[in-house]
Amino acid sequence: MGTRILAVEDDERIRAAVKLALEDEGWTVVEAATGEDALAAFQQEPADVVLIDIMLPGIDGFEVCRSIRRTSDVPIVMVTARADTHDVVAGLEAGADDYLTKPFAPKELSARIRALLRRARTSEVSSPHLRFGDLEIVPEEGVVRRNGRDVHLTKTEFRVLVELAQSPGRVFSREVLLERIWEHGYFGDGRLVDVHVRRLRTKIEADPANPRHVVTVRGLGYKLQV
Amino acid sequence: MRLPVLTVRLGLRARITLAFAIGALLLSALLSATTWALTRENLLNQREDAASTIVYQNARIVRSRVTDDPESNQQVLSSLSTPFGSRPVLYRDEGYTSVTPAFGQDALPGALRAMVLDGQPARMRYEYRGEMQMAVGVPLPAVESAYFEIISLDDLESTLEALGVSLVGASLLTSLAGAALGWWASRRALRPLAGVSTAALSLAAGRLDTRLEANADPDLAPISESFNQMAQSLQDRIERDARFASDVSHELRSPLMTLAASIEVLENQRDDLTERARAALDLMTLDIQRFRQLVEDLLEISRFDAGVVRLELEEVHLAELVMQAVSHSSEADVPVELEAELAGVVVRADKRRIVRVIANLLDNAAKYGGGATGVGLRRVEGGVQIAVEDRGPGVPVEDRDLIFERFSRGVSAGRRGSSDGVGLGLALVAEHVNLHGGRIWVEERADGDEGARFVVQLPVEEPA
Repeated sequence: MGTRILAVEDDERIRAAVKLALEDEGWTVVEAATGEDALAAFQQEPADVVLIDIMLPGIDGFEVCRSIRRTSDVPIVMVTARADTHDVVAGLEAGADDYLTKPFAPKELSARIRALLRRARTSEVSSPHLRFGDLEIVPEEGVVRRNGRDVHLTKTEFRVLVELAQSPGRVFSREVLLERIWEHGYFGDGRLVDVHVRRLRTKIEADPANPRHVVTVRGLGYKLQV
Repeated sequence: MRLPVLTVRLGLRARITLAFAIGALLLSALLSATTWALTRENLLNQREDAASTIVYQNARIVRSRVTDDPESNQQVLSSLSTPFGSRPVLYRDEGYTSVTPAFGQDALPGALRAMVLDGQPARMRYEYRGEMQMAVGVPLPAVESAYFEIISLDDLESTLEALGVSLVGASLLTSLAGAALGWWASRRALRPLAGVSTAALSLAAGRLDTRLEANADPDLAPISESFNQMAQSLQDRIERDARFASDVSHELRSPLMTLAASIEVLENQRDDLTERARAALDLMTLDIQRFRQLVEDLLEISRFDAGVVRLELEEVHLAELVMQAVSHSSEADVPVELEAELAGVVVRADKRRIVRVIANLLDNAAKYGGGATGVGLRRVEGGVQIAVEDRGPGVPVEDRDLIFERFSRGVSAGRRGSSDGVGLGLALVAEHVNLHGGRIWVEERADGDEGARFVVQLPVEEPA
């Protein structure tokens, strides 16, 4: 069975056109016009990627995103109105992995989706067992344990942690992380990195305000403290 | 020849001050003059009454002691008590006897003498030898004589003169006080106007939420109320206009989204299309791209107008940013010239906006300037300059400010004409640069060849 994409969008014609374009990529597209429909559809049969427009009648895109995140680490792409609004940060904090602003070219969307799908699979690549203090990372199993207990990370959070952990002590600029994880390159939005690091810290740090593992190197980027 | 007429337009405050001063002067002059006249009359009457009483006493003494001997009469006159320094004169037997020869018959006015000699007591004020005098005459029919006294009023005159001087002084002081009061009152009265003027300037400078403080003064409250109403309707109107542009572009995004997705589906079927259909598809693809850019620019600029734009500042390695921006732009192979000292310069900037600035300048060069010939980056005092040069016709001096206005392509459409692009790119560049506290301008190319040179100067905080 091929890749299933759940597209949540209230505008009927946009939904139809996006469906056509994504189907050209060889993916199966499941449509939902409202947040309620989307959650029902996802419960019935989980998708491989979820595309959510923030502006929805009824429960909004943020809420749909949070609801899905409670049970699943499926890659989520948010569609926001503007890049320089708080919507982007709010969407990322609600659990989105990436975002696009309207109007976007479907080619751009399929590139993002492909990157997310690759990311979802990279966790299967084997690499050694890593341990940093109370933190234990098993890349081949896609598992992170803190004090022996499993920590639930999304695919993107996991990739950020593994990327940093594979070269402990090395400083990664936001640009490098954007390139390697999101495949956005130099012009990616640094907030993607910042919000994901923030979310990662709340899960793996004893005190997220005073991180011991993933630390900020001011003006340069992030590194994993050895 | 006509003489130039010097007209001085006095300000409101000067006029109020002058009116207060003149009013005070007139009032105090009137009061002073009245005071002076009343005082004078009073003093003279008192003196006259007092003097007359003494004259009558003296007249009784003279009546009882007068003789036919002028010598003894003179002694009688000398013995009289004259508290006001008056000079007694006796008329008897057709002749006048006096103590001081200078104040005899001649010192008495004829009219008075005639009345008294007619048997009528009389008094008269007059001037003699330049001094105020008063004469009182009492007929003494029992002894066939008349008694006169000449009283000098000169001391009263000097008293009145001193009073006059003080009154004039007081009037002048009152006028000055009036002027000062006028100055102060006009300042007090005009002070709310200064507030209005400051607020109007602030509105003009774009701070649309400027309002006057509510005024409790019943005379001033209507002014501040109507001013605030005006400001509110101005703000509403400007915000409505700004919102309209924003709403329109928001509304346009949905159909655009459908168009962009559908055209891509068509592109995927390109090989199945006829040649004519492919040509039509290409036109649509290009114009949907243009449409999309326009909507994005409109949205961006309407956010500037709504005043909701915030910079996402981060520390940016400027040289790298410029090189990346150029290599990802429509003019990726344009040479970038870097000054060596710029290699490590880090600025606090909104990366996305600076990239847009460079991309738009390169787009502009491609559309109107025959393509960019180079991008230069150099350090200047207090900042860095990013310059983009092209090989186009350049920008005429008179259009160099207009070119940064919205939709300004019309300015010199003849020379910069192109079917592509709408004139929002440079206006947006200017907005982004201004938001960073920088400046943008266009000038001649540095090497003197034909072409334009767009320079963006961004401030850099000097390391302390």
